[in-house]
Amino acid sequence: MTDPAILTRDLGYRASTRFAIEGVSLNVPAGAIYGFLGPNGAGKTTTIRLLLGLLRPRQGQITVLGRPMPEESTAVLARTGYIPERPHLYPTLTVAEAIAYHSAFYPTWDSAWADRLIKDFSLEPGQRIASMSKGETGKVMMLLALAQTPDLLVLDEPTDGLDPVVRRDVLGAVLDYVAQRHATVLISSHLVHELERFCDWIGVMDQGRLITELPIETFKNGIKRLRVAGAPADLSGAPFVLLDRDARNGTESWLVRGWEDPMRGFLETRGASVREVLDLDLEEGFVELLRSFRRP
Amino acid sequence: MFRQIFLTQWKWTRAPLLIALLAAFSIPLVSLSRDMSYTQPIWDARDLLDRVRSTGVAYSALAAALGLVLGLSAWAADHRGAHVYALSLPIARWRYALYRLGAGALLLFLPVIALWLSALIATHVIVIPTGLHAYPNALGLRFLLAAIVAYTMFFAVASGTTRAAAIVLGCIGVALTTMILLADTAIGRSLIDWAAQALFAWPGIFGVFTGRWMLIDV
Repeated sequence: MTDPAILTRDLGYRASTRFAIEGVSLNVPAGAIYGFLGPNGAGKTTTIRLLLGLLRPRQGQITVLGRPMPEESTAVLARTGYIPERPHLYPTLTVAEAIAYHSAFYPTWDSAWADRLIKDFSLEPGQRIASMSKGETGKVMMLLALAQTPDLLVLDEPTDGLDPVVRRDVLGAVLDYVAQRHATVLISSHLVHELERFCDWIGVMDQGRLITELPIETFKNGIKRLRVAGAPADLSGAPFVLLDRDARNGTESWLVRGWEDPMRGFLETRGASVREVLDLDLEEGFVELLRSFRRP
Repeated sequence: MFRQIFLTQWKWTRAPLLIALLAAFSIPLVSLSRDMSYTQPIWDARDLLDRVRSTGVAYSALAAALGLVLGLSAWAADHRGAHVYALSLPIARWRYALYRLGAGALLLFLPVIALWLSALIATHVIVIPTGLHAYPNALGLRFLLAAIVAYTMFFAVASGTTRAAAIVLGCIGVALTTMILLADTAIGRSLIDWAAQALFAWPGIFGVFTGRWMLIDV
């Protein structure tokens, strides 16, 4: 069994008096495309900065690509392509200068790949970063992250604010890269439907905590909405997790996690019957999960 | 790596550097010109020394301005991006800061060399009265030291956060205000004397800025 690409245990960090990361234990399997979901302000960017050694945790352990962080951040960053939430490149440089600058720090830089991406993304090497559109800047950042041939790609909202065409180009380049190099990808977003198409694991964060982490198929299949007649008040010993219940006209609408069809038997022993089982897509599941987490 | 850091810093500062270079080249020539003429056979020694002394402040002002511009611009682009880019590069923080410091220090040499060359030219084309001597090397070295002191100081202040810079400047402000308020008292006077002595007299950190910036002296 291969080691996880990213592993954290009980990660804690206090960003301000009002916001803290608490008890985050992430496990990103090597080779996975891991969708890091959460609403704005959930703590995704702060967690990513902790993972990469840009911030120092107050508590907990972080291991990235088998090395402890932030102690070995230089070695880890040499194998990690990172696209931050906001454009970070020097605006006065041209594309060619930005490439020359960035490549000097990475011994694994692949010039041929960079040249190919310049063509694929229709970038003008002489154009200044400051004069570029948001989409073009996003493409340059993606080019820099990919051409350094990283083992791990950490993409923080890489498509936020991009138009659909650029978004497709950028994500297409990531998938192309992963297919060829078998890299691990951690991609954060609040655009759930976007991650649904290509992620194989997801982790959901809210209010500085990791709510859940599981393979995407398990997540999609495990969260169901049930319509239950004769629902009992006491559900102790239930083999599923009841996230939410809402009573209407004698039947109850339940949101459950970990549901499987044989569990109907459990409800029948309590005098209830399942009238309907509805599948939720990832976005609905995500929203319901957040609602249940936030409910006092 | 260093080459790329140097090239970025060159790009960010080349316009003010060019101005500083022209100024550095002009000051020695202007200080020794009399009605823009350098070849008068007889100079009045007192007139020459007064003229040289009066331009002395221009050297220290230029060195301070040069240090300010290079020190601040070394970090300006990183500040704009909240240092995320620099921190995400696979290089130790101390090494990155050292490279940035080194790149700026290397750029300082351009106006220093211009000033030194200009001083050499100026002192060779004029007729120096008997008893006076030219000090182009000493002036060039002094200008280099002053520029490095100013540069490293502003580099250090600019490397921190805005909050850290505000704290440093705030502390200086409080110290100055305290001295002004206590200026009429015996304690205040001795405090001012002590501070002036510690900072501006040799070997105080700003000692290089004060004193005689004389291209020609006895």
